Amino acid sequence: MKKLIMITSVALTLTLIGGCTNKSVVRYGDATAVETTDISFGSTDLQKVAGQMTDSLLLSPVVGTLTANSRPIIFVESIKNKTSEHIDTESITDSIATKLLRSGKFRFVDMDRVAAARKQLEFQQNSGMVDTNKAMQLGKQVGAQYMLYGNLASIVKSNKDKSDVYYKFTLRLMDLESGLVEWADETEIRKTKEKEFVSW
Amino acid sequence: MLNTFLKTSLYILLSLGLSGCATTSFSDLFSNYNQQMQEVKSAQQRGDFSQALTLVPERSESNGTYNLSLLEKARLEFLASQHQQSQQDFAQVYRHVQQAEQAAKIQLSRGLENIAAVISNDNATRYDIPYYEQSMLHSYQALNYLSQRDLSGALVEIRRANLVQNKALRANQKALYDSQQKMAQKGVSAAILASKYPSMNTAIGEVKNGFQNAYTFYLSGVLYEAAGQANDAYIDYKKALEIYPDNVTVQQDVWRLANSLSMDNDIELFKKRFADNITQGMSQTDHQPSSSGQLVVLVEQGIINSKQEVSIHLPIFTRHNDVRFYSLALPRYKNRLRHYSGLSLSYQGKRYQSQEIVRLQSLAAKQLQDEMPAIVTRQVVRLIAKEKIRQQMSRKGGDIGNILAAIYNIASEKADTRSWSTLPDSIHILRMDFAPGTHEVEMNINGNKRTVTFEINEGRQTLITLTAIGSYTHYQSINL
Repeated sequence: MKKLIMITSVALTLTLIGGCTNKSVVRYGDATAVETTDISFGSTDLQKVAGQMTDSLLLSPVVGTLTANSRPIIFVESIKNKTSEHIDTESITDSIATKLLRSGKFRFVDMDRVAAARKQLEFQQNSGMVDTNKAMQLGKQVGAQYMLYGNLASIVKSNKDKSDVYYKFTLRLMDLESGLVEWADETEIRKTKEKEFVSW
Repeated sequence: MLNTFLKTSLYILLSLGLSGCATTSFSDLFSNYNQQMQEVKSAQQRGDFSQALTLVPERSESNGTYNLSLLEKARLEFLASQHQQSQQDFAQVYRHVQQAEQAAKIQLSRGLENIAAVISNDNATRYDIPYYEQSMLHSYQALNYLSQRDLSGALVEIRRANLVQNKALRANQKALYDSQQKMAQKGVSAAILASKYPSMNTAIGEVKNGFQNAYTFYLSGVLYEAAGQANDAYIDYKKALEIYPDNVTVQQDVWRLANSLSMDNDIELFKKRFADNITQGMSQTDHQPSSSGQLVVLVEQGIINSKQEVSIHLPIFTRHNDVRFYSLALPRYKNRLRHYSGLSLSYQGKRYQSQEIVRLQSLAAKQLQDEMPAIVTRQVVRLIAKEKIRQQMSRKGGDIGNILAAIYNIASEKADTRSWSTLPDSIHILRMDFAPGTHEVEMNINGNKRTVTFEINEGRQTLITLTAIGSYTHYQSINL
């Protein structure tokens, strides 16, 4: 009898320990699936913001007339991060720029790569390695006509029951020559997290 | 007989062990945090930060004091100019703070810690970083970002610091009242505690609460100005002025921005409040467009004191309304403030003197004073529980049981002396106008002479963070 109790208790303990240990699993997920790991700015917010902004820009009548006969050249200024989180705003502008390029209505100049481009052109011109007839010429780049810029602001509030965060993303398109803002729009996101009642 | 005795000791050991795997290491229960930090602080006092770093006790991530260890490390790394490492450590502490804040209302692991704390001491509980330490965390993090030329990152930290201060303001009043009520229920009167507990009034000084940190507000103003957000800067300078109404540098900044933003009502108000040399000196330079830049110096001085343990005898009213005296181990701060002469320098025939913007020692002491009712309440619960254990053991285990229980009770009676103890004691500020270009100025810091080289850009601010600990001085200049 005693032996039986002992064996069952040992077996029980083993199953308990076995239950606690689990293997880590690697899986592929959907990149556009809704992500709600925590309340801070996440991939879903980024996709939502970029998607809505590009749609709004492409569908606006003003932009329709701008792009009727030509493909305007845009330069993307940075998005100012005015939130209380360290957010990679370049990633938002990258998404927007890629979507706009894909639409075929706009062309872009990339200010981040000016130094690299200059280095390459200088190599072609001055190194003596490149056939001078086939070398690209300096000073033939096309200037941007429009500037895309914006703000990302947030309001964060929390009490003992829940925390709430509100993001507002504003994007504007400015005609660089006249200084007129041709188009602007904003997207809002609200996220609320209610605290669990009991946890470990 | 021996069986029950064994059972009781097993129970103690088990709960200690349980708490051990959950949060606390054994050594933390029986030695005070201030003793563990003593050598670290003496290395810091000598200015030997890399050695101080090696002396910070290692703790595992599950340890309740882990985030405090990280704070100490991050601060020492900041002093040793290892900004990237410091930034990572601070970020990790911030993640812990966020997790604790967003955690469930009832956390079972906390309950377990509290049980462990009832039969040992407060060191078994998780260290909750008080608001003034959180605001300093974000200030240092902002400086870490700045030293990597990331103003927008620094501004994120500044906004976080402001969130902390807002939260503190809302949370404080009610929490204070509640904890006093709870203490009264346990039979300790606030008046008797005040008469028995050593006063910290000198250390507290004129601080009104333990969380409003004017330094963070001032730094925030400087950074907002650098980002071209003059209105935001003005608001934060005014908040700093509310806390330190007599600081001439802050007065000058408020006056300068009030004029450039045309805050007419405020100008009228401040005209009456501020001294004539501030209100008149400014309006003169207002007329001629200045082609100068500004130098902002933040002077950190000394090291904050660690908490110390003090034993007091306190009468406690039991349920049958008879009085029993208990001996309580409580944390306290030394009741004195060191005097710092700050930074003084002469430039073009004029003498400039820095002024205090925060006294962290006072904030810490005030914070401890506000926490005291809650600490005493926990201590009384603990004393009664331990007394119960002793009675039980003496009944079941005879003299040996009695002695063992008594020894355990004495050995485990430790005050919780944990606090961020590598912070500076006092921080001063000074702002001056300079012509654009490179300057070399001899500065006098607490009696030490030091030549400081910096560059001024037209219409911009140059930030110098100056550290003076004992005879050690170090500075870093950042062009904003």
